[in-house]
Amino acid sequence: MNWLLLCVLLISVVEILSVSRENFKTCDQSGFCKRHRAMQPGSSPYVVLMDSIKIFESSTVELQILNTKNNVRLLLQVSALKDNTARVKINELDPIKKRYEIPVGDALVGEPKLQNMKVLERTDGSITLGFEDNKILITSKPFRIDFINNDEAVVSINTQGLLKFEHYRKKETPPAQEETADGQESDTNNEEQQEGGDEAGEENKEETPQEEEESGMWEETFKNFHDSKPFGPSSVGMDVSFPGFEHVYGIPQHADSFALKTTKSTDPYRLFNLDVFEYELYNPMALYGSIPVMMAHNEKRTVGIFWHNAAETWIDISSNTADKNFLSKMADLVNGGSNEIPQTDTHWMSESGVIDIFIMLGPSAHDVYYQYAQLTGTTNLPPLFGISYHQCRWNYNDQEDVKNVDANFDLYDIPYDVIWLDIEHTDGKRYFTWDGEKFPNSEEMINNVAAKGRKMVTIVDPHLKRDDNFAVYKEAKDLDHMVKNKDGNEYDGWCWPGSSSWPDFTNPEVRRWWATKFLLDNYKGSTPALFTWNDMNEPSVFNGPEITFHKDVIHMDGFENRDMHNLYGQYVLQATSEGLLLRSENKERPFVLSRAFFAGSQRYGAIWTGDNMGEWGHLKISLPMLLSINLAGVTFSGADVGGFFKNPDAELLTRWYQAGAFQPFFRAHAHIDTKRREPYIQPEENMKIIRQAIIARYSYLPLWYTLFYEGETKGIAPMRPLWVEYPADKNTFTMDDEYLLGTSLLVKPITEQGQTGTQVYFPGQNELWYDVETFKLYNGGQSVYVDAPLSKIPVFQRGGSIVPRKLRIRRSSSLMVHDPFTLIVCLDKKESAKGNLYVDDYHSFNYRRGEYLHREFTFDQNEFRSQSVDVHGNISTKEWIEKIIVVGLNKEPSKAVLNVKGKEPQILQWEYSSYDKELIIRKPGVNIATDFSIQLS
Amino acid sequence: MKYSIVFVILSLSSCLATVPRPRGVSISMASYYQPGAKFRCLDGTKEYPFEYVNDDYCDCPDGSDEPGTSACQNGKFHCTNAGYRPTNILSSRVNDGICDCCDGTDEWDGNIECVNNCKELGKKMREEADRVRLLQEAGYQKKLQNIKEGKQMREEKKVELEELQKSKVDLEASKDEMEARKNEAETPEKEAKEKHEQAWNELVELKKAEKEKLRAEIAFAELDTNGDSKIDVSEIKVHSMFDVDSNGEVSDEEALEHLEEALEADLEHFTLKVWPNIKDVYKAPGTESKGDNQDDVEENKASSSDIPEVEGYDDDDDYIDDDDDDDIDDEDDGYMDEEVKEDTGNNEEEDKMPDYDDETKSLIAIADEARQQFTEADNNLRDTENKIRDLESYLGNDYGPEDEYSILKDNCYEYTDREYTYKLCAYSRATQRPKNGGSETTLGNWGRWDGPSDDKYAAQRYENGQGCWNGPNRSVKVHFKCGTENRVTSASEPSRCEYAFDFETPSRCTAPPNRSSDDIHDEL
Repeated sequence: MNWLLLCVLLISVVEILSVSRENFKTCDQSGFCKRHRAMQPGSSPYVVLMDSIKIFESSTVELQILNTKNNVRLLLQVSALKDNTARVKINELDPIKKRYEIPVGDALVGEPKLQNMKVLERTDGSITLGFEDNKILITSKPFRIDFINNDEAVVSINTQGLLKFEHYRKKETPPAQEETADGQESDTNNEEQQEGGDEAGEENKEETPQEEEESGMWEETFKNFHDSKPFGPSSVGMDVSFPGFEHVYGIPQHADSFALKTTKSTDPYRLFNLDVFEYELYNPMALYGSIPVMMAHNEKRTVGIFWHNAAETWIDISSNTADKNFLSKMADLVNGGSNEIPQTDTHWMSESGVIDIFIMLGPSAHDVYYQYAQLTGTTNLPPLFGISYHQCRWNYNDQEDVKNVDANFDLYDIPYDVIWLDIEHTDGKRYFTWDGEKFPNSEEMINNVAAKGRKMVTIVDPHLKRDDNFAVYKEAKDLDHMVKNKDGNEYDGWCWPGSSSWPDFTNPEVRRWWATKFLLDNYKGSTPALFTWNDMNEPSVFNGPEITFHKDVIHMDGFENRDMHNLYGQYVLQATSEGLLLRSENKERPFVLSRAFFAGSQRYGAIWTGDNMGEWGHLKISLPMLLSINLAGVTFSGADVGGFFKNPDAELLTRWYQAGAFQPFFRAHAHIDTKRREPYIQPEENMKIIRQAIIARYSYLPLWYTLFYEGETKGIAPMRPLWVEYPADKNTFTMDDEYLLGTSLLVKPITEQGQTGTQVYFPGQNELWYDVETFKLYNGGQSVYVDAPLSKIPVFQRGGSIVPRKLRIRRSSSLMVHDPFTLIVCLDKKESAKGNLYVDDYHSFNYRRGEYLHREFTFDQNEFRSQSVDVHGNISTKEWIEKIIVVGLNKEPSKAVLNVKGKEPQILQWEYSSYDKELIIRKPGVNIATDFSIQLS
Repeated sequence: MKYSIVFVILSLSSCLATVPRPRGVSISMASYYQPGAKFRCLDGTKEYPFEYVNDDYCDCPDGSDEPGTSACQNGKFHCTNAGYRPTNILSSRVNDGICDCCDGTDEWDGNIECVNNCKELGKKMREEADRVRLLQEAGYQKKLQNIKEGKQMREEKKVELEELQKSKVDLEASKDEMEARKNEAETPEKEAKEKHEQAWNELVELKKAEKEKLRAEIAFAELDTNGDSKIDVSEIKVHSMFDVDSNGEVSDEEALEHLEEALEADLEHFTLKVWPNIKDVYKAPGTESKGDNQDDVEENKASSSDIPEVEGYDDDDDYIDDDDDDDIDDEDDGYMDEEVKEDTGNNEEEDKMPDYDDETKSLIAIADEARQQFTEADNNLRDTENKIRDLESYLGNDYGPEDEYSILKDNCYEYTDREYTYKLCAYSRATQRPKNGGSETTLGNWGRWDGPSDDKYAAQRYENGQGCWNGPNRSVKVHFKCGTENRVTSASEPSRCEYAFDFETPSRCTAPPNRSSDDIHDEL
């Protein structure tokens, strides 16, 4: 078949051009992954000792689990949490060394709130707990837990028996003699023979030594990197099944489809923060960030799990059918009989730490977003400039360059908010310093940019040049703040500045120290209009294994990087974010962009998808990648517009701007080896289209801002897959080339070369969708081919929604803060619509003291109303409403009367087009804070 | 309510301006905005009550109803800027908190206080205009000189070219003649030399054969241990050197093979048939197992099969062939003869070839003379051809519409920044050299004029410089600006490996503007 051949050719071409795979481990090359993956289902040695039960505060049940193969005991804790969430934690009952647990407040925003749970039933072999609508069924032999909602199992743990908990142990020395000593001197073996049953004892004799013998438990070598593994094997793993679910999502970051694939014929999905040069598309390799969060969705419900572990983690996914007998027996699930229930099995494997799973029981996707937000926090409302357009390049060379770029944007009338400086702005890659020749007067430069309401960002990476004349390094060294190598000396690795060391950001004291570096007195040449970009914080170590830290690097309290590798980058981000807070005495919202991230990073800043390429495939993959990252709570996220590596042609760049304009974080960036590609350099046609795309972004900022406010309060991501809003529509379950912004906009960017149209799926049987430019109407529940010449971004507004926009586009977003709104009212089939708007000062934390407005707009029965939906908020603003466009109004009104409380009714002018069914109400002129209505008759 | 505020401000501004007109309207457009009458959008599409003008709501598709507000995305606001230059700014810059007009009229909503600095700007502008005019005047005078020199140079080069083209014809004839003479003299020279050398070679061969025969006789005597003047199988078998398969003994077959299938060999058979095959392995009896120096040498030779023993001799032949080559002059011949001497002297004890006889020597002298004359004629022609090529290249280059840039040709200009010294050799190449030492990098070689299509001579491109890792070949765009001296004023690398130089030169200066056409103030 020709296409097959083509595919093979394409794949081989891709491989030539991209990542050096051999730099990164496969599961086979990662000792613990290989051990876990080799396990066979259905032979779990773990049993729950039912007599060991303890109940705490009527919300937590504790039980011991015995590994019948080696008699090691584990402690199982099952808790019910507020908001339909449960927690299952498994640790060693009596470890010889404390196992690493992520401190509360680091990934988790705080101690999760418990709620009462009842023991519904106890037998010799099981115990049934109950909270809210849920039952938790713990079965003893073999150990498993089923989460049952309204008599349907929705999440099951260890049904395949893949639980494997490698307890800390003493190294048998010398290992070579172990064979002769087998069964006689080994303490564990003796115990087994005494306590284990006869048959089990026989088994143990054979199996235990085998387990001990496995290579890679006490040291590993990858390429020429040696991992000393002084504490030996420590991994944990378990399977989690989703009965009734065919699709699972999440566990970013991977350059792969949104709906996760089964991993039968590939490596498992890997979570291990890495700096991957020119990453490949559509595979499960690890990238810069890791969020061990997964959602499962079917027509009836959405559930999620959060694997609270920051060590290297691999996740296998397979399709299965549910074990009906077990479920029907335990949960009375005998309704159809012959219908097979689909099931997705997942197998989670982490190199260290404990098993700590949060089970978020939904039942809706909105609920799961909320439940996860209760655990790890929400994205703080960004300052308005953060969600505006960012202009970046490695590098804007000097002050003159910055001035010219800034001036050219104005000359070509293209708005932008932030201009960025990459590593070359520093004095020899010493962060917090300036290249004195190129940036002799950085404050003046920043002030000139800020004079137009704009901001600047400089890069501050976590690696510190080992140079005693570099004050930040010297101080960190003298304060003993650095990460240590296995021998206890300052870790020395290679990065941009050459020989470098890394502060131990896992230590709160180090984070506090780092934060002070952002004070204006410490960061010379900075101003309050300067914000920060943390790159290379996986961390990237050019001469380290897999381009990162050695795993035996030592952090605070003697824990190894192995224990919390995936958290390091987030700690850098957190410390930087706290630095910006410190600088403004907690008055101004910080803005920090990070490349590495973990669960909880949303609390500190934005992230981007790292070093992508200027290729169509990378534009296309930005959608599923961002959907996954957004699903996992990091909602302030984007991809480099244009692609970091390579030179995109004008068409690709144009389409990328169009896509980026409707993604949460909107920044153009380019590698130092690429040609200049600022919008104003493009051919005139492309320049104009790019300008229109950026203008579109600015016009929708009120919507974005409102969505981010909703995100802060409810945890819901502005950028959502269709199924979140249309949960029963199976067509949408694997859709990742179009998405929703909030509930009102449907976006389907063009991501193919030469395309001048695209098939758009309009969700919702009874919905109406309107093209946002032409107000052309499309019926929901169908797929329609939509023309999309180069100038067109296929974006549609849902009938029934009201979207606030600002159509007076200025040079930057802060120059638009007093400008009036235009409200776009798209009517549904009942000629009604609803929407809301959030307003504050767009930059400070005063909104947390009630200085904001949250307005609701409705249109129903020919009446438009604007009212406050939040009595706690109040702020005076100059913003007013200049225009209301009502689309889908079948009958032209004969009169439009504005009613404001305490004022005489006022007659308004309008224009009506019966062809477009579009009514434009001229200049209500009412301040946005004012309640009013407009009666059409 | 809002109307009234707008109206008050509107009437205030009307009082200030000499012609009453709505805010943001220039005098020339004032007549389209007549209070009392209906306002027709300037594109003629729609008509509105005059109150709709500047009411902060955009009605006209062309934005003309809102000349003084930010309501229309496509509108323009006119700043009078008395004392400076009037400008139209985008409506989006009205009341955005930034003073865009020097008279501050764009920020009328009171959010920001703008200082009217039109007078200062006007002064600066006029000073700048004066400076530019002076510069242009000075530069332009030099440009005229450059044009003159450039044209003169072109004329001179043309004349020179014509002359050279003429003389080229003569030189070609001369060369042909000298070549014929040379060939004529070389034929008898070659014959004489060959004859002499052939005689010598024959003599050498003869000597060699005799020597070999002698060696064979000695060997025969050594092998013929029983002294019967015949060598038989048994006499061969006792010598391990004939143990071809190295199995420790010399078998009958091996012995027979050495004797070339004869049961016994007399001296003649031995010399002719046996000796040529064994001479390489042959060692005098009694020395074969000891491994002294001689052995080592012999073994080495036997093992390294690609170095034949008589290599030196073959080389001699080559040298002799070379002698026949016309292009080799006498000096070379002499040198090679010496080498031959050395070689043969080392490897074989042979005498050197005797000198040529007197007759041959005189033939050689005649041929040498002819060769020298030919070489001279050939060189003269080549020199001229090179000069012609240079002149044609010069005349083929584009030095601007009036040859004003030819002054730059063959000159180099340097510019040094913090890290590098940049050098531009006009019409040749551009380079970069690190200040702290290190090698020079070619940034580009002369390519073409590269200004915009309507101003081609604004810039030059130097291209195909050294390649960049992961990037294009380096290139430089040189931007020309008017100045009184020829010099590079800046060098930068806006994109990786794409450099930009600024170059000041009088040749870029234009005729200074006529003072009377100074249109700085179009209204007050």
